[in-house]
Formats: sequence, C-alpha cells, structure tokens
Amino acid sequence: MTISITVNTVERSFAVQPDEVLLDVLRREGYLEVKGSCRSGDCGACTVLMDGRPVASCLTLAAKADGHVVTTVRGIGDQAHPHVLQEAFVRNGASQCGYCAPGAITSAKALLDENPDPSEEEIRLAMDSNYCRCTGYEQQIEAVLDAAAQLRQEARK
Amino acid sequence: MGRITEYYHAASLEDAFAKAQQLRPAAAYVGGGVELILRRNPEITTLIDLSHCGLDYVTATGEGIEIGSQTTLTTISRSADIRQYAGGSLAWWAGRIAHNNLRDMITVGGAIGRNQPWNDMVPHLVALDAQVRLFDGAERIMPLAGYIEAKQPGAVIKGVLLPAGNAGSRGFLWRFTRTQQDISTLHFSALVSSDGKVMTAANLVFAGRPGHAALYPRLSEELVGKPLSHETFARVAEMAPDLVEVGTDLRATGEFRRELVRAAIVNLEEHMTGVAQ
Repeated sequence: MTISITVNTVERSFAVQPDEVLLDVLRREGYLEVKGSCRSGDCGACTVLMDGRPVASCLTLAAKADGHVVTTVRGIGDQAHPHVLQEAFVRNGASQCGYCAPGAITSAKALLDENPDPSEEEIRLAMDSNYCRCTGYEQQIEAVLDAAAQLRQEARK
Repeated sequence: MGRITEYYHAASLEDAFAKAQQLRPAAAYVGGGVELILRRNPEITTLIDLSHCGLDYVTATGEGIEIGSQTTLTTISRSADIRQYAGGSLAWWAGRIAHNNLRDMITVGGAIGRNQPWNDMVPHLVALDAQVRLFDGAERIMPLAGYIEAKQPGAVIKGVLLPAGNAGSRGFLWRFTRTQQDISTLHFSALVSSDGKVMTAANLVFAGRPGHAALYPRLSEELVGKPLSHETFARVAEMAPDLVEVGTDLRATGEFRRELVRAAIVNLEEHMTGVAQ
C-alpha cells in the first residue's frame, strides 16, 4: 500500500507493508536521526511528532500515519540551524552518548510548543517516555528549563 | 501480528462492522494500534482502522460525558469536562498511565477492547459506572462491567459514557506497583458520594489480579448510609481482605494481595476524610 506523510514539511509518498511500523519506514527512507532501540515503546529513542504530539514510532503503524504530519528531530533543527532546545542540550551537558537525544529533544519540543513556561514536574512528566542512561536526567531537565527561558525571552523581543 | 495482508481505512461504523463480519475472526479493529504490535496475533490478517469514523471526541450532554472510542488518553487527561467529573480522577489517571508517548497513542476504545492489565483504565471506568456504546448493525448501550464480563465479538466500541449522576461524586484510584509504569499487583478504584457526613453511594472495584476487575457490592453496602468516620472504614478494611478475590501469581501471593486490599481501604479513608491513618 502507498501512504502519504508530510515529513519535516515535505510531502512524501511511501510504499509500505500493512504491518510496518513508522520507525522502519522512516529509517528505510533515510531519516536516520530517528533511532530504534527497545522496539516496544519503552525507551523513547524513536520519538517523532505526529501532528505536533510525541509518539513512539516503533509502535505506530505506518499506515496509521497516512495523511498526517510527522516531524523528526532534524525537522526541529539541524547542525546548520540548531533549535534553541538543541543548543541548550549541548550547553547543559544533556547529551553524552547522544542516542536518546533525538527522542528527548522531540518530546521537549512538543511540551514547549504547548507550555512555554513549564515547571520541573511538568518537564519530568512530559519526558517520562525518554530513557537516558548517561546523564541521569538532571541535565536534560536543566536544558529544557534553559531553552524555555530563552524562548520566552525571544518572544518578548 | 502474524502476516497482515490488508490495512483497511473504514469510512464509517457500518463499513467497519461489515468488513469485520466478512472477515472474522481474521480482522481486528485498530485503536491506537499499540497492543496489535506488541502482542501479535497470528490469526489476524486484516486491520480495520477507525480513525475516519469520527470517534475522536469528548462531548458533555445532559446524559453525562461521552468519550469517543478513538480518543487518546492525553485528550482525556486534558478535557476540562473530564477534569471536573467525579473530582477529576479519570483525567488524573489518564495523564499518568504508561508514559507520555504512549498516552498520545492509546485510545480508550483500545484500552477497553483489549482490557490489558497494564493500564488500569478499565477498572477505574467500571467504578465510575461507565457505560459502553456499541455498534453491531445497530447502536446499543450497556454497562462496561457487563461488557467486560461477556465480550461482544465483532461489535465496534463507539464510545464510553460517564453518567451525569456521578459527576459530583468523588473518584479514587489506588494501585500498588513496583514502578509507576509497571503492571499493578493490586488495583483499587472507588466512587463515593457523601453529604459531607454520611456516604450516600459507593462503588468499590478491585482487580485482585491484573485484568480481573470486579465490583464488590457487599463492601459498598458497608459504606452507604454510614458516617464518614474511622470506625466505618476500619470495619470495611477488616472485611475486605476476606471478600475480595485475589490470586497468587508470579508477581505476588494471595496473602500479600489481601494485605494490599486492607491498605487500599485505609487509603480510601484518607482520601475521603482527609485524615491519614
């Protein structure tokens, strides 16, 4: 079957199997920034935004994404044009091995889009889907607080 | 899943039901799709997607609040109407099941249809007296407690109705787990009404083992008409471990679960009276 998905603002058509998951389709089509790990919805490495909301792409049937808008971490920002969140992750030491960073940043982006001034508890709840075995999470929380403060400052300008 | 050969976007409930009837038992309705991927069923060859059937809604009417079966847990947790219903217990819990990514995927219809033990949505809805609106060629409505007892194979879950009469009651949910995302060792949900001094209605639901939720009217009788006092709850806490059907499995012994039953009632007392025991 063929599905149409807008990935990082570009409309794409993909031939998929009826039982394929979005993670496999995206990686096959070159979106290697989407990481696979547990493949059971536990770790959050594969998080992408679907219509602005974070989902585990390893448990999302690709066919279910037909007609939807998908954003990967590269759609949020890339090396040439990093997003404030990505810069904050680097500045706060929130990424060490880096494997969880795409998913963690994507979850944080969904949070800040809806709530520009989240509390620490709200950040923890919004990122409870993202495992990180290096940082102990504290730096990630600090990075999101840092990015949120910067984004609010920019909004006031 | 085994080998899925077809993914069918149903255009309407009638279309979905007709397709399922034509293919049963080789077809499954897709809610969020999470369980279909995690627990592959080799008998299923066709998935019927309901996302074009207009079932993603939360509507408040005179009858109560109706939640469309394709509504995600995140939407439920954010609904202003559901946050006000029965003290907001359903909204609170929907915002904490599993984790953030999955809450944006799991639908209430999928949670009911699969009745998997890990999300504890069904026992809490049973405590809230929820009814389920089904479509099997015609629409009909039945208590959720009855639906999970006698599954309706092939029927599409259209929505869940939270009755208006319970809006002012207090919902309560207590689950014992090793971690927040783990399967419950014991689940307890309650819905209690009171006039501030005396309890006027009560539903108590225990899932003595995951996925085995049941109402305990005998325990409810011990609360209704009784004062909101330590003595009332102490009596129920003494009775409940012998009445509630708990099981022994790899996760916990029945003896341990019976102690948890007692602890659940103590927690309900604290919730209702504001006094910690």
